[in-house]
Amino acid sequence: MEAAPLATGAGPRRRAWELLLALPLAVVFAAFLLYPILTILLTSLKPGSGVLHSGGGGSSSHTIFSNYLELFRDPIYCEAMLHSLVLSASVALGATLLCLGPAWLFARYEFPGKRLMRAGFALPMSLSGILVGFLAVIMLGRVGFIPQMSQGLTGKAWLSGAAYQLSGLVIAYLYFEIPRGVVTLESALSKFDPRLDAAARSLGASRWQRFLWIVLPLIAPALVATFAVTFSVSLGSFGVALVLSKRFSVLPLELFHQVVAITNFPLASAMAVFLIALALALNFALGRWMRRHFSLRHA
Amino acid sequence: MRENLRRPGFLPLYAFTLVLWLIVMSPFAVVVLGAFLQTTFLGLSTEQWARGGDGESLFSVKWFGYVWGLYRGTLLFSVKLALLSVLLCLLIGVPGGMVLARRQFPGRDLLESIVLLPLSLPGIALSIGILQAFAIVRGEWWLILAGHLLYTLPFMVRMVMDALRSFDVAALETAARSLGAGYWQRLRWVVLPNLRHAMVAASLLVFCVSWGEFNISFLLNTPLNQTFPAALYATYTTNSFQVSSAATVIFLGVVVPALMAIQWLGGGRGVKLEQGV
Repeated sequence: MEAAPLATGAGPRRRAWELLLALPLAVVFAAFLLYPILTILLTSLKPGSGVLHSGGGGSSSHTIFSNYLELFRDPIYCEAMLHSLVLSASVALGATLLCLGPAWLFARYEFPGKRLMRAGFALPMSLSGILVGFLAVIMLGRVGFIPQMSQGLTGKAWLSGAAYQLSGLVIAYLYFEIPRGVVTLESALSKFDPRLDAAARSLGASRWQRFLWIVLPLIAPALVATFAVTFSVSLGSFGVALVLSKRFSVLPLELFHQVVAITNFPLASAMAVFLIALALALNFALGRWMRRHFSLRHA
Repeated sequence: MRENLRRPGFLPLYAFTLVLWLIVMSPFAVVVLGAFLQTTFLGLSTEQWARGGDGESLFSVKWFGYVWGLYRGTLLFSVKLALLSVLLCLLIGVPGGMVLARRQFPGRDLLESIVLLPLSLPGIALSIGILQAFAIVRGEWWLILAGHLLYTLPFMVRMVMDALRSFDVAALETAARSLGAGYWQRLRWVVLPNLRHAMVAASLLVFCVSWGEFNISFLLNTPLNQTFPAALYATYTTNSFQVSSAATVIFLGVVVPALMAIQWLGGGRGVKLEQGV
């Protein structure tokens, strides 16, 4: 019983003024996070205002949700949204599967050069999307490194200009999602108890049986978390598409064009609200799912 | 360690990881080559190699001089922003993280989730928000700094909180108090020394994030207040491969040592960059 007040840290004499130390933090986030989010929520309900805006010409056709209706009705935006979802889902799936190898290696084995390898994998994570896009261009562009090398070696320029096609976009997204997946998955896999695997082996389970029935169910939450993180990041990513995408549009890129080229802030705000809502919903669902999953396991 | 190498499954896993690692690393090698080579193409045309023998040096640093002349202002502006971000994160984030980790008060959980929120929100969406909410002061350099704080403070706060939760700070403080140490003495001699490691690692991370931030910088900048990543984008779209490579190498030359230091400090496991691309 005596430990209880000690555990809360401050003991009997709590200093109320100490809470003021968190005030600057609260002010910064109220001013530069909550206020801007509120602003785009309100702006998204205003009539469209772009130089190319052709939404009826007057306020008569305007309802407060007309920007959202336009977002979900206009085939161009629908296509961009669909592209975003499909691209992000396939990239997240690919990244989760591919990073299983490195994450397992880093979590379970000690070997010389491990630190250098992990540091290398951490590098693309902190690069902005435009830089990853540029790296894709120099490797897979029309006169990229790989086409030139294969031209010199085999006489045929393999993958020339792939950077500007869908395949290049997928590769570039994978490029910064695989490292992210490795970090997320590694920290989860390092908690896996190898004795369970050993017990199954002593009972005569084959390698595949053990993987399918012991390892996979145990690491499933980690895989789902990795998928969700990489999916959510891909969905909001825009630098890569800005550099690479020629015809294939994604929603963040449409948003950017609404602001820079068309200056239709209300529609851009509706897109931003949609992206933020999607990210929040994903985050919330993942948190709930993880909590339920783990509470069931422990029960 | 030797036993590990003989454990089943090590070799195929290692081979797979190594291949993936080499793929991830290869563009960096090409960029560095491209920045230093005196060629019009990727340094692979044989004529250029041959001419390298006729007195004209194959390697050159002239592109770096060109980039420096062109983008000196943006480079210095980005360094200034990154250093100010670190300073403000230490001044705002460390006390904030300490309060969040050590105190219970109404709204504590809400404040924590709001502070960590930017890490999982799309940068472009928040940039549009800041752009509109502060339209009157658009182009002011401190607005870009505020945007950077939004993406750097969460890292500082989270690392400070993780550090304070990883050891029993309450027990240490109680011990110090029983020995007669006052509030500021405990802060100075008990709490802060245990946070030093996290503060160094988080400062490096904050520097990297601010240095590489593109979304907010790109939408809020003006020709007078342009950050280096925004200038990088302009280079990619308008300049030659060599100039772009040299600019990229300058960018990486700042980030890579800082990231290595973070890894070396052991922060790599806790460091997750979730958004920002």
